[in-house]
Formats: sequence, C-alpha cells, structure tokens
Amino acid sequence: MTTVMDRPAASAGHTASRKPLIERLNIVTALVLGAVSSVVVWQLALKLLPQDADTAFFFNREDKIMLLALIAWFVGFMTGIGALIGPFRWLMGKDLNHDENMFLAGKEQGVKRYFRYTTDHKVVGIQYLVITIIIFLVGGILAMLIRTNLGHAQGGWIEPQTYNAIVGWHGIIMIVATIIMVTGPFGNFIMPIMIGARDMAFPRLNALSFWLIVAAVPPVFISFFTGGITTGWSAYNPLASQSALGMNGYIAFICIFAISTMVAGANITTTVVKMRAKGMTWNRTPIFIYGVVASVALALPAFPVFFLSQIMSGLDRAFATSFYNVAGGGSGWLYENLFWIMGHPEVYVILIPSVAALMEMAPVFTRRPLFSFNLAIMGIAGISGLSVLVWAHHMYISGWAPLLNAPFMLTTELISIPTGMLFLVLIGTLWRGRLWMTMPLMSIFALLWNFMIGGITGIYLSDVPADAFLHGSMYVTAHFHYTLMGAGLTGALASLVYWFPKMTGRMFDKTLSWVSFWLVQIGFNVAFMGMFMVGLAGQPRRVESYAEIFNKGNLVTTIGAYTIMAGMLVLLHGVISSWRSGVKAPMNPWQAKTLEWTVANPVPLENFETLPVITSDPYGYGKAQS
Amino acid sequence: MNKRLFAALGTVILGAAAIAGIGTYVASAKNDSRVLAATAAGTMETPQGTLPHYTLDMSVYPDAMFGGHGTGGGHPGWVSYGPVTNFEVPAHSAITITVSNYDGGETLNNDFFGKVRGTIGGTATLNGVTITNVAPDHVGHTFTVHGIASKQSELFFSVPMQAVAEEDMPEEGYTATPNVTVFTVITGDAGEYVWNCEYPCGDGTVAKFGNAMSSMGYMSGHFNVVNS
Amino acid sequence: MTNLQTPQTTKWWKKSDVKKTFLLWLILTPIIGYVGTTVQLRSIGAPASEVMASVKTLMGVFTWAASPVAALVAALALTSLSGKRHYGDNPPAEADHQISNSPRVASTWVVVSTLLCLFALITGLVVLQKDNESILDATAMNVNVTGQQWVWNFDYVESNGVRSADLYLPVDKPVVFHVTSVDVKHSFWIVQMGIKMDANPGYVTETAVTPNKIGVFDIRCAELCGLLHAYMQTKVHVLSQADYDAWLTAKSTIEGAA
Repeated sequence: MTTVMDRPAASAGHTASRKPLIERLNIVTALVLGAVSSVVVWQLALKLLPQDADTAFFFNREDKIMLLALIAWFVGFMTGIGALIGPFRWLMGKDLNHDENMFLAGKEQGVKRYFRYTTDHKVVGIQYLVITIIIFLVGGILAMLIRTNLGHAQGGWIEPQTYNAIVGWHGIIMIVATIIMVTGPFGNFIMPIMIGARDMAFPRLNALSFWLIVAAVPPVFISFFTGGITTGWSAYNPLASQSALGMNGYIAFICIFAISTMVAGANITTTVVKMRAKGMTWNRTPIFIYGVVASVALALPAFPVFFLSQIMSGLDRAFATSFYNVAGGGSGWLYENLFWIMGHPEVYVILIPSVAALMEMAPVFTRRPLFSFNLAIMGIAGISGLSVLVWAHHMYISGWAPLLNAPFMLTTELISIPTGMLFLVLIGTLWRGRLWMTMPLMSIFALLWNFMIGGITGIYLSDVPADAFLHGSMYVTAHFHYTLMGAGLTGALASLVYWFPKMTGRMFDKTLSWVSFWLVQIGFNVAFMGMFMVGLAGQPRRVESYAEIFNKGNLVTTIGAYTIMAGMLVLLHGVISSWRSGVKAPMNPWQAKTLEWTVANPVPLENFETLPVITSDPYGYGKAQS
Repeated sequence: MNKRLFAALGTVILGAAAIAGIGTYVASAKNDSRVLAATAAGTMETPQGTLPHYTLDMSVYPDAMFGGHGTGGGHPGWVSYGPVTNFEVPAHSAITITVSNYDGGETLNNDFFGKVRGTIGGTATLNGVTITNVAPDHVGHTFTVHGIASKQSELFFSVPMQAVAEEDMPEEGYTATPNVTVFTVITGDAGEYVWNCEYPCGDGTVAKFGNAMSSMGYMSGHFNVVNS
Repeated sequence: MTNLQTPQTTKWWKKSDVKKTFLLWLILTPIIGYVGTTVQLRSIGAPASEVMASVKTLMGVFTWAASPVAALVAALALTSLSGKRHYGDNPPAEADHQISNSPRVASTWVVVSTLLCLFALITGLVVLQKDNESILDATAMNVNVTGQQWVWNFDYVESNGVRSADLYLPVDKPVVFHVTSVDVKHSFWIVQMGIKMDANPGYVTETAVTPNKIGVFDIRCAELCGLLHAYMQTKVHVLSQADYDAWLTAKSTIEGAA
C-alpha cells in the first residue's frame, strides 16, 4: 500500500513533478488555493443562497456570502501552505519521517524556506520581522493620511466614510503590529537561543502561528474595499452590525489573529517552562524571557474572549442573532465588556515585552548588573495580575455599572505601583553605570520620558471624575500613543538594533539608527503633546472635521507626525541597507552575557552543538558580584 | 555628508511621494463630487429685514438613478437625494429650498423630526399648504442640516417630507405627483455644514441607518455657506 | 592621600552624584509641576460648572503630586547621563558600581508609590462622591437627551412638551440629564461643564450638573457613531432664570401646536 504523500526517498535530483507534496507547497500555492477557493465559494453562495425578504428586519445575505468567502480563503490558504499535512498524516496513523521534519525545518533551502511552512524558529522569527515591518508600513501610511486630513484647517480633506475606514484600519492593524512586534520577531528568533534550547517546544505550531497571521491580513485589506472598518478599532456594537460589509473582514481578521496568538502563547509558554538549559533556574533566566512569557500568558485568557466577541458579532450580522442588539434582547454593554476584557490585558501584552527587552539591554549598555532583578519580576507579575482586573475603566461613563466605578478606579490606580517598580529597575541600572552611547541605550531614556508622561496621564484617566471630562477625547488618543508607541515601539526599535547582528549577521548602521531615533522621538513628542492639548480643549476622538479652535494643535500634531514619518523611513532604509550590505557582525558585538551571543553567525540549524549549562545569571557585569 | 544618509534621504522623499500619491487618490474618492449652488432670485422680506434671496431645488428618489453619484452608482437600489448631494448657499441670505419627494415612507425613529424646525416661522408648505409638522407615521424623509459646535454661526434646520402614499407608488418609474415641500431658511456667517436624512431609510440595517444613510452622496452630503 | 577611604566611610548622601541628583530634583520638581499644570489647565479653558472646576483642581493636584516623582526619575536619569559616557564601536570597561540590589531603596520606592497611589485614589473618590450627590438633588430640573445619528435633541420634562436641537439651561439650577439613543451608542459631552454620559440604545443613563456661568458652551458627541460623528455637535445656552423662562414660554407657544 502506498499513500499519495510518499516519503521523499532519495528523490533529490529527479524532475519537479516527482517531488512529494510537502516540498511543492509554498506561499504561491497557498495564495492560489486561498484565492480560488474563496472565489468558488463566493460564486456558489451568490447562486445558492436565498434572497433576503424585502420585509426582513436585517439583510444578511451579503454578510453570509462575504463571511463564507473569507472562511474559504482561510481554509484554502492554510491548506495551500501545508498546515494540514501533519494533522492529516497523524490522522492516517503515521507521522512525518525524519527527512520530512528536516525539510520542514528548512534545511539547505536558502531563501526559499522563508516562503514555506518552515518550523525553524529562526526562520519564523525573520518571517515575523518582515511581516511586522510590512504591517507597520501600511499602518504608518494610514496614520499619515489621518494626520494630513486633520492638518488641514478644520479637517475635511477626506470624505467622512473613507476617513472613518482609515481610522479603523489604522487602529486595528497597528494594534496587531504592536502585539507581535517584540514577541514575534525576537520572541521567536532570540528567545529559544537565550534559554539554551534547540527550537521551540512545538515547532509546527510555531509555523502555524506565523502563517495564520499571513492568512489574516488579506481580509482586512478586502474590508477596506467593501465599505471599510468604519467603527474604529474597537468595533463597538451595535454600530458594527450597522456598518457596511467591510466589518466582516474585521471579524475574520480578528478571529484568525486570535487563534494565532493563542497558538503562539501556548507554544512560547511551554518552551520557556520546559526547555530552559540545564542550570537555568528561574533566578538565572534573563528578564526578557519573563517579559515574553508574561505577554503571551496574558494573551492566553484575553484572546479567546476577543475571538468569542467577534464570533458573536458575526452571528449578529449574518444570522440576525441578538447578542448585542437591544431590540432583540441583547446589549451593547455585553460587547463592551467582552472587548475590554481582552482590550486592557492587551495593552500590557504590547508593553511588557518592550520594557523587558530594554531591561535586558540596560546592563549590557551600562556595563553593570541589572538593578533588583526580583523587583523587575515582581513588577511584571504585578502588572500582569492586575491588568485582568481593570477592564471596566474603559466603561466609567458608559452607564453600565456606575457602582463599579470606584472598585475599578482602585484596581487601575494600583497598577501604578508595579509600573513604578519597572521604572526603578531601569533607573537603578542606569545609575553609576558606564554608559555606552548607542541607540538602544538612548531608547531607555526615551522610554523613561515617554512612559512617564503616558503613565501620569493614565492616572488622570483612571480617575472617574477626570475621565468624565477626558473620555473619548483626543487626550485619550495621545495617552495611549505615549504608552504603546512612546514606550512600546521605542523598546521594539531598540530591540531591532540590538538583535539585528544576531538575526541578520550584520550590524545596523549606526548613523542611521541615531538619525532615525532623534527624528522619531522628537517628532513623537511634538505630535502627541499637540494632541494632548486639543484633547484638553475638547476635541473628540475619531473626528474627520473639527472646530477652528483646534486648528493650531492639530497642525502641530501633523508636523510632528511628518517628522516621525521621516524618522521611520530612515529606519526602514537602515534595515534594508544594513541587511544587504552592512558591516559583518562579530559573534558578540555588544559583549553581552546572554546565551544568544554565544552562538555563531549565522546561527546554525539547531543552535547549539552541545547544550549549554548555566551557572550564574547573565548580568555579571562589574568588578565583582555583590 | 555620509553617503548612507543621502540614500536614506532618498527613501524619505520616495516614501513621502508615495504617501502623497495615495493621499491624493483617497481624498478624491467621493460618491458625489458635484456641487449645486443656489440660484439668485432677487431679495426677500424676512423677520430679519430685507435679505438677498436664493433658491435651491432638489428631489428624493426611491432609488439611486438620479443621484450625483451617477445613474445607479455602486448601489442602484439605495434611496438617494438628487440631482446632487452637495449644496452651496450664500451667507446672510434667505434660501428657499424646494424638495420634491418621490418616495414612500413609514414611521420615524424619533418624532422630534416630524416637526418643521429652524425655518422662517417654523413652517413649510406641502403642495402649497402651510404646515408645521408631518404626522410621524407619514414621513418619507427629512432634510436636516447641522454642523460642528464652533465659532461659526449655528445653523440647524430640519424639515420632514410627506411620504407618497403606498397606492400612489408605481411598480415601475416614479410617481407623477411627488409631494413638494417648500421652506425658507436664513443663513448666518460662512461655514461648513452637513445635511442628512433623519428618516430611517437604510432598510435591513440596525435602526435602518446603515447603507444609504451611512454613505455620503446618497442620504447625506455637504451644505456649505459661502460668502457671495 | 595615602590612606584610601573605603566607600563605607563616605555617607551615601555625601557622594557628589547623589548631591547632584538631589539638587536637580529640587530644581525640576517645581518646573515640572508648574509647566505641567499651566499647560494643561490653560488648554482646558474656563469651567462652566462646579464639576468642571473640581476636575481642573484634581488634575492640578495630581500633576503637583506626580511632579516630584517625575522630577526624581528625570534627575536620576540626567545624573546618570552626565556621568561616565563612552562612544565607540566596542564596549567600555565594566562599571565600578556593581550593586545589583538595594532592599532599602526598593522598599522605600514601593512604599512611596503606594502612598501616592492611595492619595490619588482617595482624592478621586471624594470628588466622585460629590458628583454623585447632584443626581439625587430633588430640586433639579430634568432634561431628556436623545441621540440619533447625527443630531442631539432635548426634551424639557417640566415644560409642556418643549423640545429643541440646541440645549437651553437656566444658570445655577441643578439639572439631571436622562440620556438615551434611538440607534447606536453616542456619548453626550458638555465640554466646559465636565460631564459626559454614553447614550445607549434601549437604556436610559443619568448624569447631572449645575451650570454656574451664563454663556454659550459646546456639546459634542464623544463616541464614534458612524458617518457624521464629527458633526454631531450643538451648543448649550446658559441663560439667567428670567431669560430662560422667557425662552421657554416663547418656545412652548410654537411647540404647543404640535
């Protein structure tokens, strides 16, 4: 008996037609199969689904068709990339053989492995890096469109519907980009080496989590051309049920992305718990690992809720269920609760790994031990624990439960205590250090500055009476850009420069990293200071047009935004040019003491010839340990 | 200067150009880019003295065959105002607006909009008869103008259009006897306003305010007051 | 000096970098506090109610309470930055300072931040309590606020059916708003009075305020509600009681016909 998928028994050198299926699948087959199956299902649904009755309360036919086509895209794409080969083989009572596993790991395939369902964590890390950059690029373009519109006196350059779609699109893809920006590229590429492992615990799940993100991106693009996500990234119901077909793209995007996050979360958590090198006790585990684990572990309870909330949203749209529709017995407050039960842990999913990455870099660039490792862990744990208990501070003025305002104000303000611990760790590490003036080091100072502003404004917002004034204004927008961008993205960019030598084998161009750093940081502060002011003066969020008293502040913000754009493009240029023709990096250019710097460039397939044994924490800088 | 820096500058310029291109394209994407300016019609005696007088004619159709979005547009089945949906009227003038309604209708979400508001005397004429309101269950559409709270003069008016009775709606084409509503408003300083319909006519959507109601160029548009 | 002093004999507060930090902290605290409060409170503008005035006070108090912390972090960062710096492609020698923990510093930091947190919490609760009381005021007038895409309208409960698209209120009289929506969520925000309440379809939520200043103020929708969200704004006219009564009478003769 033979199966269709015969083992690749010494078939190398034979004609392409004889290549086993597993070797023939790649991004092209995935795109083709995804596109074909979605078109087929779309056409079938167009023909077969009954018309809506004229008297129907809700017209659902087009929603059903679009959702079906998106599901078909998803199934087709994942099949085409080869995600089902393993499970199918397992179902047949077999498993992949050694050669096939080595093929999946990307052995001796050169550039091609980046376009396949490759399980090597380093390949996945690079894939994540590239898709993160692409998503940021799109989100950045959208941000510039928003700012150009608002830079015009009183706004109104772009039509309201298009503008709303741009705001929603910018919001959701930037959230996704910031969620994956540290744990994706660096969590996948660096983390396993840092803990002394040969790969992730579940390499195939690792590939799955990445290709799910690729599968999730087209729906959000399609949504822009079918009416757009005109609800902002939060997609509040019932507005989301009322909005155009584009919302189905949002729903599909979130559902697929949530699966990816859950898969990645289970994988990373298991890897860190089970696969640390011999002797790497919890006290000797680098702080970056804690950040990554805290982030993905927070995502584990948060994203299933997000997933559910969108399934319910999709059912409301396509089958006229009434989870959120008041007329049918549902409630918009239900959506708000589900959304923010995901939404507030989610901001720490973004923030913690960035701060942890900077904590990892701080000893390297000050040449002294990390100050109070225990406090750092306590801070990360404290934030993670509290962050699941604060969601309703987004709903102070929703009228849902006024009596809960005081308790949620308590939990929210308590978060300032563990956050303060992280500040102390960073500042304590800088204190009396020998500062090596590099872009990652200055990023620590930038983070302290931006996160201080983001944190203090967060305290105003956590206060119920002040929030009654500030909620829904540009002040909130400026606040969370200070935390997610000023703190989060700053840490991610520093990580990029710091780990670039290990990931690409080349140094990031120093001049460009500095130019980009200053352009981004100055532009950022100009932009969002201006936004704080228009917020305080009373400009609501997500408006396409505004009163003339806000002209000046918006112009300032737009000028700042253009400066950020220039800085980001310099950075992009730096990435591309350094990657192609940068100075070749030595094995350990920063003279750091974590394990990833003990492996050669490029990192060999299974990282370590012999697995390392750990005898101390990686922060033994300075003359003696105390 | 550093060679790499020059190359990076090139990337910045390229990137800015790309964004400018995308932006221009996005900003020009409109369902209806045409603007109808009010026609001069001498002067008019108003409670605020003698003012320059202008007229503006428009219609509401049960489908999108007449809108400024072109015949049919992307959504031929949607209700639409016509001949265009963007209007321009002079400041400090009396504007007499005539709306011919070819569409039927049912009940408002909110009977606030059953009343004529913000016109001279709070009245309008419906097929020649002076009215102050239309029964909330006989409203076809409304023409409601509003704007941002700012230094610009406040301008708010909302006029309901009587629905064409069910039995007068032909299977094909439009009724020969539309309901004609005429009303006059006085404009203040120049400013940018919008109008939309407050009758829920986005069938099959939540609160019937989706589709045509949530797209510029169908049941909403710009209403700009300009210095003549 | 032949007799090298060991670090233990120099008291920690006598070290030059500690003194420098302390000095910087003393200078930065008032600067941050002053700039922070001035910029923010100027941007907010003049309040038109007690509630808004207390929001401004709160933000001022919070800013002043936060400024020593911000100044301390800034002072420590600046001192560190002004210390030993190294430029170049290769790492500097390792630092002399190798303390990797200081229970005293850590515990002081945690205790102080906890106290500051409690201070913020208690201040907030006191103001919140005051705000809640006004909803229960029996002498208050009542206004039903209805949000509909993309226009607000107001029903004056104690009148004979008067309704308007811009809001009229008498000065110095408490008013309770019963806020709802007929379609999607909106948020009713009287900017200069510092109150905001979401308008939820199917539910009525309440908020209250006492306007204390005659003038015209802004009402804006603060929750994205679709196409013309940006234009879902109107004015509130706060009048003297006499002017308000006159307006109400004039308006009710028109509305009476409805």
